[in-house]
Amino acid sequence: MSGKSARDARREERVRAESEGEGQARRKRLLQIASAAVFMAIVAVAVLIVVTGSKTDGGDTELEDTALVSRELKGIPQNGMVLGDPGAKVTLIEFGDLQCPVCKGFAEEIIPDVIDSKVRSGKAKVDFRNFTIISEESIPAGAAAIAAGKQGRGWSFIELFYRNQGLEASGYVTDAFLTEIAQGAGVHDIAQWNKDRKSAAVVAAVEGTSAEAQRLGFTGTPSFAVEGPGASGVETLGTPGSADQIESAIDSAAG
Amino acid sequence: MIATFVATFGIGIATYIAIADSGGGSPVCLAGGSGCETVANSTYSHLLGVNIAIFGIAGYVLLLAASLLRGDFARMAGFGLALGGFGYSVYLTYLELFKIEAICQWCVGSAVLMTILFGLNAIRMVGYVGRPA
Repeated sequence: MSGKSARDARREERVRAESEGEGQARRKRLLQIASAAVFMAIVAVAVLIVVTGSKTDGGDTELEDTALVSRELKGIPQNGMVLGDPGAKVTLIEFGDLQCPVCKGFAEEIIPDVIDSKVRSGKAKVDFRNFTIISEESIPAGAAAIAAGKQGRGWSFIELFYRNQGLEASGYVTDAFLTEIAQGAGVHDIAQWNKDRKSAAVVAAVEGTSAEAQRLGFTGTPSFAVEGPGASGVETLGTPGSADQIESAIDSAAG
Repeated sequence: MIATFVATFGIGIATYIAIADSGGGSPVCLAGGSGCETVANSTYSHLLGVNIAIFGIAGYVLLLAASLLRGDFARMAGFGLALGGFGYSVYLTYLELFKIEAICQWCVGSAVLMTILFGLNAIRMVGYVGRPA
């Protein structure tokens, strides 16, 4: 009996030692796999960062002020080319050309004050209408803005375009530039945006508002007009020199 | 188990970001500011047309499952998933700091959770893999 149990004990000891050895080998193999995975993850992250960094760094089309524009328009509804509460009584109409440097100045210095004082509060909404006077390139630029408007990013597009505007008629309004602005403005469906901006109806809309501006007697950009219960139809303001003048016109149009 | 709790919390954050985005808006920063809107509006917030928060939900659900299962497969899978999530979080934080130039506290919250999960899964894997459950 004692000889048999000693044999059993030795066998058990041997089996345990073998299984421990197998366990150690398996553990070593799994740890090697894990180490390889860590190495590959480090390489993958490094490659992603380098590729992303080289994509836009150093390029002459790197966007400026994306965060600023996003902050400026935060929380304000955008419908088509209209910024602000659709139910606002007063409509401020801006006839602008995206290539126009004076419009850029207005976008940076005057319009933000009007947005803060009148649009954010729901008193007025602003309707941007293209009035293409600089060059032929203003037409695809305006069409691209309208196409962005179809995805609720019209004003984000306009504001970002102005802040990244190039020299008038210098050829910077390329498909690549417009696409970058659209992406920066948060246009989600770029394929649909491309389809829309090249459609005959959208291009006709750009030409239509330019003709409307001429009918109203405007000769330059930006030109403004107001509509509201206190105004008789569309009242033209021309090119006001300050945010105060626009704000007073909005107050009068409110009745 | 801490990993189970952290993964559940992660599902909550990722779901909030996904729901906020699907409503056409963006997550609201609790401390004010517009970092979340800027990040949510950036082109980096979507991968192949899908909000990356959706991938986040899937990742956290799998990490939750791994934390509840036993054995080497669960340990290795948990480690691999947490490693992938942690690596991607490092990349996203880089994008926020240097490309989008805005910080979204929800994304930072998720990155912190993913870092904790990576630590816990690494300890679990190194400590127990190849040994009996």
